[in-house]
Order: sequence, then structure tokens, then C-alpha cells
Amino acid sequence: MTAIPETVGRSSGRLDGEAKITGRFEYGVDAARPGMLWARLARSTQPHARIVSIDTSAALAVPGVYAVLTGADTEGFVGSRYVRDEPILATGTVRYAGEPIAAVAADTEEAAEEACRAIVVEYESLPVVESVDDALAEDAPIIHPEWESYWVSPIINRPGGNVVSHATLRRGDVDAVFATADRVFEDTYEVPLVHQASLEGRVAIAEVDDDGKVHVWSSHQYPWGLRQDISDILHIPLDDVRVTVTGVGGGFGGKLYAGVEPYCIVLALATGRPVKLRLTREEELTATSPRMGATVHLRTAVASDGTFLAREGRLDYDSGAYAESSPGVVSVGLMTLPGPYRWQALAVDARAIYTNKAGCGSYRGPGAPQAVFAGESQVDRIAREMGIDPLQLRLHNAVRDGDQGPTGQVLEGVSLVETLHAAADKIGWDSAGAGEGRGRGLSCTWWTTTGLPSSADLRLGEDGSLVLVTGATEIGTGAVMAGVAQICAGELGVDPGDLTIESADTETTPYDFGAQGSRTMVAAGNAAIAAASDLKDQMFDLAAAKLGCSPDDLELADGEVRDRDDPDAVLTLADVARLAGTGNGLVGSGTYEQPGTPFDTDSVVGAMIGAFNIPSFATHACEVSVDLATGEVSLDRYVIAQDVGKVVNPRYCEGQLTGGAVQGIGQAMFEEIVYRDGHVQNPNFTDYKLPTMADLPPIEAVMVEVPSASGPYGAKGVGEQGVIGPPPAIANAVRDATGRAIRRLPITAERVWAALRGEES
Amino acid sequence: MTAFSLLVNGVEHTMEAPAGAFLLDVLRDSLGLAGTKEACAEGECGSCTVLVDGEPVDSCILFAGQVEGRKITTVEGLGGDGLHPVQEAFNALGAVQCGFCTPGFVVAAAALLDRVGSPTPDQVREELAGNLCRCTGYDNIVAAVVSAGAASEASVASAASVASGVRGGGS
Ligand code: FES
Ligand code: FES
Repeated sequence: MTAIPETVGRSSGRLDGEAKITGRFEYGVDAARPGMLWARLARSTQPHARIVSIDTSAALAVPGVYAVLTGADTEGFVGSRYVRDEPILATGTVRYAGEPIAAVAADTEEAAEEACRAIVVEYESLPVVESVDDALAEDAPIIHPEWESYWVSPIINRPGGNVVSHATLRRGDVDAVFATADRVFEDTYEVPLVHQASLEGRVAIAEVDDDGKVHVWSSHQYPWGLRQDISDILHIPLDDVRVTVTGVGGGFGGKLYAGVEPYCIVLALATGRPVKLRLTREEELTATSPRMGATVHLRTAVASDGTFLAREGRLDYDSGAYAESSPGVVSVGLMTLPGPYRWQALAVDARAIYTNKAGCGSYRGPGAPQAVFAGESQVDRIAREMGIDPLQLRLHNAVRDGDQGPTGQVLEGVSLVETLHAAADKIGWDSAGAGEGRGRGLSCTWWTTTGLPSSADLRLGEDGSLVLVTGATEIGTGAVMAGVAQICAGELGVDPGDLTIESADTETTPYDFGAQGSRTMVAAGNAAIAAASDLKDQMFDLAAAKLGCSPDDLELADGEVRDRDDPDAVLTLADVARLAGTGNGLVGSGTYEQPGTPFDTDSVVGAMIGAFNIPSFATHACEVSVDLATGEVSLDRYVIAQDVGKVVNPRYCEGQLTGGAVQGIGQAMFEEIVYRDGHVQNPNFTDYKLPTMADLPPIEAVMVEVPSASGPYGAKGVGEQGVIGPPPAIANAVRDATGRAIRRLPITAERVWAALRGEES
Repeated sequence: MTAFSLLVNGVEHTMEAPAGAFLLDVLRDSLGLAGTKEACAEGECGSCTVLVDGEPVDSCILFAGQVEGRKITTVEGLGGDGLHPVQEAFNALGAVQCGFCTPGFVVAAAALLDRVGSPTPDQVREELAGNLCRCTGYDNIVAAVVSAGAASEASVASAASVASGVRGGGS
């Protein structure tokens, strides 16, 4: 590990801050192209039906309309990255209410909308599959009768019928260990669908040039993934697609896959004009890849002293009508249902199951909140029923350095115990037992820092200017515009403000695996360190030749290259850049790729993720008061203690902990996409309730630093983990306050009130 | 189409727009003031907040025709030629992540400071609860508004003490 530069550990400002506070920052919704048309999508009004006919003649007659495309025009254009099951426009069958049936381009958004309304569709209704239980029933209608003909990513295990994918984890002899147990606990938990609800929805523009090259501007988290999706879905050669990321008004996993872009492209091809599509909030909440709901069956075997022995679980995730990212997400359930504890044996089955809802996707910490709500709620039940303090029970079973994770990976840099103590100290756990109607709860989580490559170029201009060119995408977290900037500037001995960052364009920036998996600052930060080191080597060689010294005598500080031993031997950055004689300064390049973490590959089947790289741990603690007459829960205090490895920017690092925790609190207490008869009942912010500042206490964040071996200066991934812990922490506090377990989210007053009256939640 | 004239950020604009045009669309599309954002179009998120005669309103549900002749302030005009203290506090205190909620928040916060001077954290949580943020968890936003309020109170206090010639005196 290199020495830690002065810029690291400071709450510097972000490079895009000024543009954002003045309203000058250009988001996807603000982007425009000359001659641009507007697109709208006509959507299915039925959750499951055969399309008998589509009549677009009235739509084509609407003034200003340039093109109306239906499934007949887009035959063979099929999406979903791992199981190709989702035609971009429905052909023959619609499988959820809100599924796109036709795409319209017009000279105004209003005309495109009017044309959509003028499309006449005749349906023949099919029975609606409303839940995973419905889908698994013996006589259930098969949502994809032709499932066997779909292309499938090789790793996925597909039993067929309504089961999209089935991943398993087997470690040790579960039956034998259960037979030795003093106590066995068995529960079922249920989690509904929730939405990323980034304030900027999905939006893109596509333009096709005379040579057929496609240029897409999109508010997106992963431009190379999008480029690959577009190429796969629309059969366009990869190199004929360029993706430029616009400003991103929030992503949270909702902008990792192709969404609106294919429609823009087919309409641009049909009209010869650039086409823009932005979704309304209603479309977002009814038809764009929310977090899967899940039903979780869980059994845990425990010894009389509270030692965890074995855990057996079945996670039935509700994938909605299409696979999207669900086959990858379910494998996270294998990693997170056991929790960060020691086990003698484990057996976990995680399935993604088709229903007639919107196809589900990725949302911050994908797959984990469902599993951890079950796992950590049950840990609490075990503690209380065995008369053991929930903190002590967790400390007793917590993984330590050198232990194995659920799939046999050897754990390093383990910090669970540190976070347990930090959270307990902060909330004052010893004085627990808050009294009538008040309660405290804990939960523990662990999470990964996704690897895969990131590259960077660092340009030193002849005027001494420094430009970091990175493929990494800034989606708001500050990982790029604060964290990577500080790392890169520090390595060069300049201020972050002296740096310009160009990012996230498949044609003009080097590759990055995307803003996903809590990886950006670790991966792009390491790539920036490598690029800085390459640039420094080149600079020192040139400067040493000029100054007549050895490169080893030189240092880079305060924007100068100087000989440590000779105060007069100084060159400015511009001097050095000109020494190169290229007319264009110097370029340093660097690539980083986290080597995969070894694990017991025989322990899993059908899992797209088998280990957590650079794992990090966290403990949540909270205090609630419950109105025993109404069931209303007030969240009085909330503590999150998370291991971040090394803090690069305290303000934005803490912002990830608090922001993540508040999204998790939303899932715990407020949020649910409510379906009835296959239709979303609450497709707006009045009825889909996000937490407001009035609903929340200040979030007390503790950044624990247990360094990793390979993150920049020991940093670990930070972004996702905060969202996972709140549902069980709050459920456990409510149980402490009321004596009642809440086994279904969200924890609303109605649900608590029913539990207080002894009704099953 | 109807002819309108709107007074936005101190400048009088005359334009044609459909009779039912919302103020937000007129600002963004006709006047090119794209800093004001839309996230729900139903008056539920505060992203589109602008000031009309100093009062925060959701411009996505307000007809442009209703505000003819009134003084409209958007994020672009909030600080006059420079930055409003609340904008600076947002940037300095980490209240900005993706920033999509920021224009609506700073405008609403500026109106709050105008009205109450130096609000407490609880007051901020109460008064700005109509503005949603999905990124920050709100704490840094609350801190920024409180700090901008306290700073302007302090500068008012010091100006007052200078004016009255009393050292350490308050207003
Ligand atoms: S866009 Fe106006 S309140 Fe949401
Ligand atoms: S900073 Fe992203 S919504 Fe507030």
C-alpha cells in the first residue's frame, strides 16, 4: 500500500457541486439533440392476455406523428440479460399491466401521447398469476409456455415452468446437525416489491448517423453494459454503438440495464431523426424493474448455549413477468440468508419465480434485504426466546478473521465485532429495556465490493492541466467526483480542484464495469492510482534527464517536480509536459482488476455470485416508540455502524451510510408497490410513500475503519450495505416494544395494530 | 396559444404558450431555465419548487397564466449574480449527491430562511418535508439549511451591533 496522501480523509467539495447547486448541471432529462422527436410508449392495460389485434391507424393519423411501431416491427428484438425472455414490444401475449405494446415518435411529447391513446388493442384475458405461491401451484398457468426455446446464460439453473432460475448452497450435513440441536426455530417472512424511485426517472436519446452508427445519451450507471445490451437486443455490431452517459439524477441499480434506450433506437432508425424518451413517475412505478418481493422460509438449529449450528432456508423471489437481473440477484440470497455468522451446515435454495407483475431488476444491495429481514428477525427471536441478550448472541456467533463465509471463502479484514460494539456503544445498548411501548433493535449485515476491471488515463497538458479520463460513472454518490478525484489528486501532489474529470463514454473513456456492487471508488480509485504512477514515472524520467539527476531523487508536490536534495532543481508540471515534445503533453494509463475471491465451488449450483470480494460488515441499532392504541411506530433513534475500510471523504462516505439507511427505513416502514388483480394500486408519490425528512430522526453514522488489503489505502465498498439492515433492526425494536413479531414488510401502523390484537401479520 | 408575459429572475419575458401550460414547462422549455426539475408532475416531491412573490410553489401544477405579473424566482436567479448562502451551504456540507432535488430544496430553503431567519433542525424537518430527496437521507440538507440560517442571523446580528455601536449586541 502506498503512503496516504494529504487529500485523503478530508471532506473536500465535489467537482460537480457548483454546477448542481446552480441548476447548470445537465441531466438526462435536460439533454437534447437538433431535430429531435419525442417518444411515448403505449402499454398493456391487462396483466395477462393474448393480443387479438392492434389497430394503429388512428394513431398514425394524429398530426405530428412520425412513426408507430408494434411488436410486428420489432420481431426478434428480445431483452433480459441472462434469460432472453422479454420482447421490447409485446408479441402475441402481454404478461404484466404496463408492458409496452407500441412505440410512437412525434414532434411533441403530447402528440406522441395522443397517438398512444388512439391505439386500439383487443385482448383475450388469461388467468393472472398474482404471487409466487400462485405461480408454484400445480395447476398454475405457465407465464412463458415457450421457456425452453429461450437463450439462457450458461451458469443459470433452470428447472422450468414458472421458475426462472434456482440457485442452491449446500455446506455440511444439515440433517445431521439439526438432529443434534437443542432448539429449532422456524418462521416464514414476506417482503413486497419496492422501487428505486430515483428522482430522475429513466431517460435517453438515440441518434443514428448516415453510416448506421448509433449514439445513445442516457442517464445510466453502466455504459458498457448498456452498449452490450443494445447490441444483443437489436443485433447491432457492438462497435456501431456508442453510449455517452449524461448527468444522472439517481440510479440505485435501476439504471444498470437497457430500459428506454432500445425504443429510442428503433424509432430513430424508423424516422431518421434523433428520438428522446423519458418515463413518467407512473410508468416508473408500474413498469420499470423494481426490487423483487420474496417469501422466505427459514429454519435454524441452535445449541443450548446459543451457538448457531445450521440454517436451512428457501427464498422464493418474485421476479415478475420477466427474468431481467433476477437470476443474478437470487444468488445474493445464498450469501446473505446465513448472515455473518459461523455455521456447521447450511442449505439454502433461492429461486426467481415468474408472476404477472413488472419484470424485476436490481436495487441497491440486490437480493439482500429480503434475506436479511428474515435472517436477522429470526436471530432476534432466538435471542429473546432463549433469554440471551441479542447483542451477546450476535457477538457469540459473529464471524472473525480467518473464518469461512457461507460458500467457504476465507474471510479477511473482518469487522463485525467492531461494528457491533460501535453501534451498541452509540445507542447505549447496556441501558436497553426502554419500557412500555418503547424498544430497541439490532441487525447485522455483510456485503461485497464487486471486482472486475476499471481503467483510467491521466492526461498532463502542455499548460500543466490535469485531466483524469475514467470509464467510471458518477451517479451522485461522490465516488468519482469527490473520492476518486481526491485519490488521484493526492497521488499527484495537487488539489482535487486542480483536476478535471471526463467520464463514462464508451468511445472516449477507457472501460469500467459500472456503478454497481459498491465498487466505484475502490476500482476506479485503484485505476487512478495506477495511472498516476505511470504518469509520474514518465514525468520523472523526463525531468531527471533535464535536471541531470536520478528519477529516484525526484518528488511531485505542490504542482511541481523537484529534486529532494536540490531546492533549485524545480520544474512546473507545464515544463515537464513540454519536455515530452509530443505537442500534446503526456498520458499515463492504469488498469485495476480485483482478483476473484476463491471459494468452495462445489457448494453452489446456479449461482452467479459465489463469494463476497473485500467483504465489509455493519451493525444497525435503533430505538422506537409504539403507540399501543393505534400501532403507530415512531423511529426515535437510528444508528448505523459500518466498516468502510478507510474513509476517503468523511462527508460523502457518511452520506452513503445515512442515505442507504434511509432507503432501508423506507422499505421497513413505508414502501410497497401494492398490486391488486395484477394492477399497481399506488403508482405515484402520494400513495407510494418515500420517507420525508419529517419522518426521520437524525441518522447517527459511525464509520468503522478496518482496512482491506487491496482497496485504495485500505478502503472497502461503501454504497449499498446501508440499505440492507433497517427492516430487521426496526422489526426487532417493535418486537422489543410490543412483544409481537412483525413478519411482513412494511411495518405500518395497521400491521402493528393487528399484531397487537394477536392477528398474524 | 396565448401570449403571456412573465417576470422571471428580474427579467420580463413575453412568449406564446398553450393556455393550459404549466409554469414548469414554460420555464424549462420556453425560457430555457432547465435548473428547475420535474420528478412527479403531481405536486408531491418539491423538485419543481420556484418562488412566486417569495412564496415556494410547485411549478408543475401551477398554470403559467396564474402567475402573470408576479415575481418568479428560480434556482438560476436565487443568488442574484452570485450564490445564495443556502446554495453555498449545500455544497460545503455534503447536502448534494445526485443533485436532482437540489434546485427545489435550495429555493424552498431560501424562502424558509427569509421567513424565519434561523430555523432549528426540527423546524427545517417540519417546513421542508414537502421536498423529497432519495440520495442523502436528509441530514446534510437539514444541517446546510440550519447553518445558512445561523450564518445569516450572525451577520445580521453583527451588522446590527455595528450599527448600534454596541459590542456583542444582538438584534
Ligand atoms: S415535480 Fe412538481 S412536485 Fe414533483
Ligand atoms: S441528492 Fe439525489 S435526490 Fe437529493
